[in-house]
Amino acid sequence: MRYLTRICREALILFGMLLICFAARGSELTLTIGDIASPAFRASGIRLALPTDGSAELNIAKLNVDQREFRRVRVRCARFTLSPSQLACRQGRLDAIPDARLEFSYGFATRQLQASLLAPGGESWQVSGQLAESAWQLAVQLRQAQVRRLSFLLPTKMPQISQGALTGVLRLSGDASGMQGAGVDLQLVQTGFSNADGLHAAEKLGGKVSFTAKRTGFVWNWQGNVVWQSGELFWQPLYLTGGHALSGSGSFDGRVINIKQALVQLPGAGQVQLTGLWNVPPASLQEGSLRGSGLDLAALFSTYAQPYLEKGSLSDAALYGHADVAAYYRRGELQSLRLNLHEAGISDASHRYALLGVNSDIDWRLDAASVAVIDFAGGALLGAPIGAGQWRVKMDGLKFEVPQASLQILDGSLNLQDFHLQRAPLPPPCDGCTPAWHWAFSASLLPVSMDKISQTAGWPVMLGTLAARIPKVSYDGHAIKVEGALLFNVFDGTVVATGLELNDAFGRAPRLSGNLAMRNLDLDLLTRTFSFGNMQGRLDADVKKLQLQDWQPLSFEARLYSSAGRYPKKISQKAVQNISSLGGSGAAAAIQRSFLGFFENFGYDSIGWSCIMRNGICQMGGIEGTDGHGSGMYEIVRGGGIPAITVMGYNRSVSWVELTQRLKRVTQGNAKPVVQ
Amino acid sequence: MKKLLRYTTAMLTLTVSLNVMAAADLEVNTPGVNAIKSSMQARHAQLSAYYASGAVGLTADGMIALRDASAVPMAARQSVNALVAAENQDRGALYAEIANANAHPEWQAEIRSTFGQRWIQRAQPGWWVQSNGGWMQK
Repeated sequence: MRYLTRICREALILFGMLLICFAARGSELTLTIGDIASPAFRASGIRLALPTDGSAELNIAKLNVDQREFRRVRVRCARFTLSPSQLACRQGRLDAIPDARLEFSYGFATRQLQASLLAPGGESWQVSGQLAESAWQLAVQLRQAQVRRLSFLLPTKMPQISQGALTGVLRLSGDASGMQGAGVDLQLVQTGFSNADGLHAAEKLGGKVSFTAKRTGFVWNWQGNVVWQSGELFWQPLYLTGGHALSGSGSFDGRVINIKQALVQLPGAGQVQLTGLWNVPPASLQEGSLRGSGLDLAALFSTYAQPYLEKGSLSDAALYGHADVAAYYRRGELQSLRLNLHEAGISDASHRYALLGVNSDIDWRLDAASVAVIDFAGGALLGAPIGAGQWRVKMDGLKFEVPQASLQILDGSLNLQDFHLQRAPLPPPCDGCTPAWHWAFSASLLPVSMDKISQTAGWPVMLGTLAARIPKVSYDGHAIKVEGALLFNVFDGTVVATGLELNDAFGRAPRLSGNLAMRNLDLDLLTRTFSFGNMQGRLDADVKKLQLQDWQPLSFEARLYSSAGRYPKKISQKAVQNISSLGGSGAAAAIQRSFLGFFENFGYDSIGWSCIMRNGICQMGGIEGTDGHGSGMYEIVRGGGIPAITVMGYNRSVSWVELTQRLKRVTQGNAKPVVQ
Repeated sequence: MKKLLRYTTAMLTLTVSLNVMAAADLEVNTPGVNAIKSSMQARHAQLSAYYASGAVGLTADGMIALRDASAVPMAARQSVNALVAAENQDRGALYAEIANANAHPEWQAEIRSTFGQRWIQRAQPGWWVQSNGGWMQK
């Protein structure tokens, strides 16, 4: 506003100076002036020609307004009047807007300014003002005024206005000490803008802006109202459509904008009340508060938060339910947050996790301890349903603790102990060592039926139970580590996992490393589960240096062998055939085929098989100490009892993909092995 | 003489490092590489229209960029933005994974640069690619 007034006043000064520097030449009076410079603009090569027919022509070779430059600016007045009392231009034309008619007049004694620009399509810009220094006022009346004509007022770095029209009025008033009041009441229609790469753009914007400001001493008191009715806006990464509204009031002392109260209408999400102190230099929020009731989390998250979450586990999550929020920010940090969730929920598009029916009363403060109670009706974790529960979370600044909590999973439960979450710097090497969230807990998994787990996971139905003690699981912002041993009770035996570490847990290809030790697995249960052909006995297995990537084996050293001790050992004809067929068509096992036709089951003394997997190739071996049969043969099943059977392996190396495909064919019952 | 020696040493070092790079297996096949490739292939169906329209271009450093968002309807710009971000995340992970699979994590920058050239060579006519710091249409 001060800027506009300054331009008007300086334009009049320009005319005054021109009047002083004139020269008569032939039949016309020509006034020339070299250069006029002011903080608002700079004009050079100014020439005013006054022919004797009563017209006038003003030429400005170069005009700079802010950072913009205009060349060869020309105004022609068909009728030009210059008298001691008045300066007037009638039926004027501006070269830059050739189809518009320009008229203006200024009374030197009355200090009355009148100006108008009329263009086709009903467009009009009318300025009227009383420019007495003791009390001046200026009004700009707009009708279908093309917004793009104001582009020269905008900094060049801002998106350029391409279309749109304004209707309404702008009023400014003041006195010798400066501007004292301002008011705007405008309707915006079909407005569009864009920067060069289209990342900040709008189309067909429509709405109303009303704003008034009044100065008292050094302080401006203002109130405004913006209603965005239609159109769309893309301000990377946000995409918003009409329906938003903002109203507020406050003050401005030249350094700080004080937003005493503001109300923002977010379509589909609800309304939010704001207060704040905004430091104009250096454009920072000194203090602010936000309050909203019954906010719709789905709309709020998807429209205003998710576009900023390109990476991470929340980037493809959806939120549900409603929330009451009250937050207070000061000194660069969130100071307090009151969050009441009502039947809220979150679910991941990849079906990794979901939590539904969440109700909470969270009253968090940066500088005080408190306890939050979070109730939830259920959810899912990696496809397994989770039952209802209640968590009490101890909060102390950015440290969160859950001493004890329980998650009902299938027919068992996961009991968590000493869950800690806090924000701390990442250990080097890291991305600038910025703080990240760290968490740790210990847990025990009370028995879950394997048949329920396998049904949930889409595996063959397994018998037995899964139970585990997890001494400590921790996440340091990069990797999830399991300290101690994970113990699973499956197939009537045990599986102990040690040294487990999951890197890039939320990345495209998570990498898991660790060791597995399986003891006393019941072969009967195992082979029945996987339709391999029945075997009876007990099996131990060691899988060392296991590396999984994207949950696929990358490398490992595995060894399977009969458990120590006395127990019945039987192997069915079908199992023998299947073991043989795993060797492939060119690697038939040497089997005492004469027995095969007569017996369903055979006795055996021990079983052994090993695979060292590297670069997709499995280097196989058999029962320890059975190498040396010549030609690279090794024993997989050593016969014992009557009738006995011995299965030999020939091939030492096989593609892991090929081996797993053969195994799949065998377990799916499609195999037609050739037994010699 | 000293200068010549230094120059020769530098050239030898460069030659050795180029030879090392030449030995890198860019077609390495690990579960990680396969997962990333699958993800990129699935996304390509969505991105190809934007390559063709010039909204998205291939950068010299083996990534992609939203070079002309105005070629995309406004309501779709956010999703294209997300597609570009996800693709670049995968591409970064792919170069790191190939370098790791070759047991030379320090090769990542060279692998990225090599892929950058390869993507640009294989770009279809009409696509926009980065060349000498500017954009050009193939």
